[in-house]
Amino acid sequence: MAIGRKIGVFICHCGGNISDYVDVKAVAEAVANEPGVVVSKNHMFTCSDAAQQEMIDDIQGLELDGLVIASCSPKLHMFTFRDMAERGGINKYQYVHVNLREQCSWAHTNDKTGATEKGIALVRAGIAKASLSVPLTALRVDTIPKVLVIGAGISGLRGALALSDMGLSVFIAEKEKDAGGTVKNWGRMAPDDQHGSEIVKNLLDEVKRRDNIMLYTDAEMIAKSGYIGDFKVTLRVGEHDSVELQVGAMLIATGFDSYEPQQGEFGYGLDGVVTLPQFRDFADQQDGELTYNGKPVKNVAFVYCVGSRQKKTEACPEPNQYCSRYCCNAGTHMAVCLEDRPGDLNQYHLYRDIRTYGHNETIYEEARTRGAVFMRYQDTEAPTVADTADGLVVTVKDQLMGGEEVEIQADLVVLITGMVPKKNETLMNLLKLPVSKDGFLNELHIKLRPVETVIDGVFLAGSAQSPKTMAESVGASLAAVSKAGGLLMKGFVDLEPLIARVDTDKCLWCDECLKACPYGAIEKIHHGEKEVAFVVKSLCKGEGACVPICPHDALDVEGYTDQQITAMIDACSKEVVPA
Amino acid sequence: MSRVSSKLASAVKCSDTFNADACMHCGVCTAVCPMGIEMLPRKLFRYVQVGLEDKVRENISTIYQCLLCGMCAENCPAEVNIADNVRFLRKYINENEFNLS
Repeated sequence: MAIGRKIGVFICHCGGNISDYVDVKAVAEAVANEPGVVVSKNHMFTCSDAAQQEMIDDIQGLELDGLVIASCSPKLHMFTFRDMAERGGINKYQYVHVNLREQCSWAHTNDKTGATEKGIALVRAGIAKASLSVPLTALRVDTIPKVLVIGAGISGLRGALALSDMGLSVFIAEKEKDAGGTVKNWGRMAPDDQHGSEIVKNLLDEVKRRDNIMLYTDAEMIAKSGYIGDFKVTLRVGEHDSVELQVGAMLIATGFDSYEPQQGEFGYGLDGVVTLPQFRDFADQQDGELTYNGKPVKNVAFVYCVGSRQKKTEACPEPNQYCSRYCCNAGTHMAVCLEDRPGDLNQYHLYRDIRTYGHNETIYEEARTRGAVFMRYQDTEAPTVADTADGLVVTVKDQLMGGEEVEIQADLVVLITGMVPKKNETLMNLLKLPVSKDGFLNELHIKLRPVETVIDGVFLAGSAQSPKTMAESVGASLAAVSKAGGLLMKGFVDLEPLIARVDTDKCLWCDECLKACPYGAIEKIHHGEKEVAFVVKSLCKGEGACVPICPHDALDVEGYTDQQITAMIDACSKEVVPA
Repeated sequence: MSRVSSKLASAVKCSDTFNADACMHCGVCTAVCPMGIEMLPRKLFRYVQVGLEDKVRENISTIYQCLLCGMCAENCPAEVNIADNVRFLRKYINENEFNLS
């Protein structure tokens, strides 16, 4: 083992994070004579520019062909050091990352001797792995310069136009018979008073003018195969037709559903108790003074946070714990719209907390100064709605009066409902996208990779991901466009080569690996006289389920071969089981 | 328990004089009142703002005890014109309760 290898080992102090509990100098000395090691050093911060340059000098000066860095979690700096290895001129897959901070120093702050011994064992295992490393090359896959956008609401339409601007061909699939999404019939919307219907019309007109956008309505995905850069999708269009598409990326712009209150929740089901979307439809159909059942509307009570920020109770076993973000803005904006109407209308807004963040604060202020009354209730003492001889009566304990009970006789009670995840079972089964505990689609990293998903080439655009205002949805959609565009404009994509490989001599095709693979990356092929397993490189994630299940040891994962893992265990347990 | 009166609520809304919207319920007005009026202006104004006419009626004597000296408004950090608000209330009560116009 390790004959002729030239491995460099660098142990990081992490400014004390590691060296306070692990004697890093002792670790460097202990592994200096391991087979193949030609240099073993310490650095205060291996990630610093100066330390990286010194390591590059060592790689080149000593002609290293393997590299072990013992520092923090690979989540933090594995890519930093891979890039450094490449700059130094060594294959980046011959670099091994040892986690000496999260998995050693931080875990054993009360035992410096023990932590140091463990540190030595971990680094030795890293060296054993590096000494069996081979140069690997990224898999290059050509990409199809076409995108499928699922959902023709604001996010989908705006995203499609931006993709078209880049010169990419776009297909839009809309499940409903009419394009436009949730707001296609809406009137004035926060914050700039533009009508939803007008925004949708402008976007749709522009979409129709584009030669490189194809819009399918009454269309649903019924089959999907392929991988990043080259997906094959079948859409059902209308009742009988279907189309086959080949696209390089997909945008998921499926939007949201409005929360539907349960019968009796804040009086829902009583005549005159409506949700905000229902009230909006009702108000948009009338000019001038509002009338309901032939009578002018004098008093309207709004109840905020309906279906949002719920707590788990017997009546609500699966609460929506999140804030829906848009509802406070929509509610206060509706207050301003009502103040703009003629007539003598009083409005009472019963809220838990007003969250009109950013510019929307001015809408809240306008609503208050123009006469809408805002009353704060505590979530433990929510308002009640009752049907009495005097009509609907809302009872609330006003916090500004120290919790005194106030009754409001209301002609209409409007429940300001939040957003809930869209129900899309067929699509979700096909795409296998993970959802958060709230049921919305999950991004890959909440801060740094906000529109990417675990499925490479599939991006989130808008409120399918989480409650969002229209501006936020469009922002997210355009972010997804930039990721899809960046991927497809380059013309190819490089994939990690740390994937399974088949030893065709050993393989006898028993289909165990096919059943074990969660990514559908195994296929049966003919190899000479016999049938063997074949790994579709662009689908394999190197997850390794196929390796232990193979009865003939015919599978291995590059970079994590059985031989490497065995060598690592041997290196770790050197004192216990002498060679 | 008291019920909101549309009449008072509408009168408050239409009035150019009454404005307690900026009140943040800090209580400085109560602290500086030379009459030591028990009824806190902030609480009274909240009743008015919400439109609780019976609460206003219960506090008529307090409303007329006020000297309109303006100490409260002078010290109000939110610049609510408290004395003017009291004048509005007296006018409303004169018209609607005592039938003076």
